[in-house]
Amino acid sequence: MSAPLEVFLPFKGGLPPLRKYLSQLYSRRQFMAAFARSELRRQNYGSAFGQVWLILNPLLLSAVYFLLIVIISGHADKARYGHLTASLFIFYLVTDAIVAGAKSITSGGRLVLNSAFPRLMLPMSAAVVSLFKFLPTLLVLVVFHALLGLPFSWTMLWAIPLIALFFLFALGCAIFFACVNVYFRDAQNLIPYLTRTLLYLSPVLYEASALKSNLQFLKNINPMYPLLDMWSRVMVHAQLPNCTSYIKRCYGLP
Amino acid sequence: MLSASNAHPQKKGDTAVSIHDLSVIYRTTLDKRPTLRNRLLHASRGKKQTRVVHAVSNLSLDIPYGSVLGVVGANGAGKSTLMRTISGILPPTSGRVELFGNVGTLLALGVGFNQEMTGRDNVILGGLAAGLSKSEIESKFDEIVEFAELSEVIDAPMRTYSSGMFSRLAFAVAVSVEPDILIIDEALSTGDAKFKTKSLDRVKELRSHNRALILVSHALATIEEVCNEVIWIHKGKLISRGKPKSVIADYKKFLEVGSSPMIDEDV
Ligand SMILES: Nc1ncnc2c1ncn2[C@@H]1O[C@H](COP(=O)(O)OP(=O)(O)OP(=O)(O)O)[C@@H](O)[C@H]1O
Ligand SMILES: [Mg+2]
Repeated sequence: MSAPLEVFLPFKGGLPPLRKYLSQLYSRRQFMAAFARSELRRQNYGSAFGQVWLILNPLLLSAVYFLLIVIISGHADKARYGHLTASLFIFYLVTDAIVAGAKSITSGGRLVLNSAFPRLMLPMSAAVVSLFKFLPTLLVLVVFHALLGLPFSWTMLWAIPLIALFFLFALGCAIFFACVNVYFRDAQNLIPYLTRTLLYLSPVLYEASALKSNLQFLKNINPMYPLLDMWSRVMVHAQLPNCTSYIKRCYGLP
Repeated sequence: MLSASNAHPQKKGDTAVSIHDLSVIYRTTLDKRPTLRNRLLHASRGKKQTRVVHAVSNLSLDIPYGSVLGVVGANGAGKSTLMRTISGILPPTSGRVELFGNVGTLLALGVGFNQEMTGRDNVILGGLAAGLSKSEIESKFDEIVEFAELSEVIDAPMRTYSSGMFSRLAFAVAVSVEPDILIIDEALSTGDAKFKTKSLDRVKELRSHNRALILVSHALATIEEVCNEVIWIHKGKLISRGKPKSVIADYKKFLEVGSSPMIDEDV
């Protein structure tokens, strides 16, 4: 008798064999792409109008926060508004991935119960969907940038690796919260508070340079902080990202 | 995973599926939903809040190629659980499952379908969910649509389909996979009478020596007609295995009386 093609054994410590799992994940990439596409379609099913909302939503949100900033600080300039919009848009890439990722497995229902595929695919496609919802808003950012008369430069191409970093972070968060939500179904209810806290701890409503010296430790505890600081430098001020300063900081170098 | 089904040529009598001493245990919380709040509340009281269900216990079974195995048993006997373990959806709690070929499953109709998308998109999505590759689906596309008899509405959104049309397309996608080992759980009883006969005919067509079919159904007449061997599962245990006529007769007797000497012996 020939060797079996496949053997299912009890999981060791609740985990499937990792190497096999990853190769299965890779072999299912076409399914993942099609699944993400269908999910994207479902979320803005009003076709043309749904896509308008995709852009209108973060735009309205940034208008509301701008109002808040003007009222609190009494004044605001163009760069401030540019910073707020750019940061808020990319911040919502991450929070959207967290919210969608958390639900991805628990709402997978029939698909999870009735077909064999690596479950990791679900939070992964949730993160991909968030990325594709974010990308059209980049166009809005560019238009805003021009309207506000902010500087343009080739250094803004640094946005591309930064978006990749943001996506990687969003992906990690989506996977983490997907797992948490399987074991604690009410984790979903905590997520809005969590993302709101993260928003206030991140340089979105304020610029990183405006952080008071006694609050500098925030830079060390919030993984979004360096990313958002670099993003704002690149996208708003058309400067080089200050990654070296953060890398030095990370290793305690001067 | 499911591609290249000719890479492993099988002969009649070769083992297709081999199950050794398989047990599957479900652990569910007694609370309606496992929440952090409940976990914290009960942790402090130190109460164990889980219910343990032995859905399959110490079951051993070999299924050869060329056979059509019928699986019968009362509701909650563990049939679907066994099928999920064979298809790799659920891991065994103990024991092992060996597969000597690729598995296709039809555990529920329309898994992975998206109501907002057209029938055409859903054929692709469903096929990918079942493990086909995109090019395989494209080459089978016309055949699938023709079998489902839905060529007129294939470009309409799925939400405009009737539930029978939905199941027809789903069945057509599922049987197009043509795996070495095909598992069908309660999926034959959908659609109108005409489609029912048609899907049953398709299953009969799929019987061949280099394939193993496993058919779970409560339609005993169908099982008796299609299968050449039947197993009866009760409370996760294999009660009997043999010729369709005799096993089904025993099972029917059990259904009438509510107990059976065969079960009393084993339990
Ligand atoms: N997801 C689950 N979580 C917990 N227990 C489950 C789950 N699914 C099934 N069970 C339990 O496992 C046992 C076997 O269920 P299973 O679905 O395998 O039965 P079945 O033989 O397919 O029944 P039916 O004929 O109704 O389809 C039942 O007691 C059921 O309560
Ligand atoms: Mg069942």
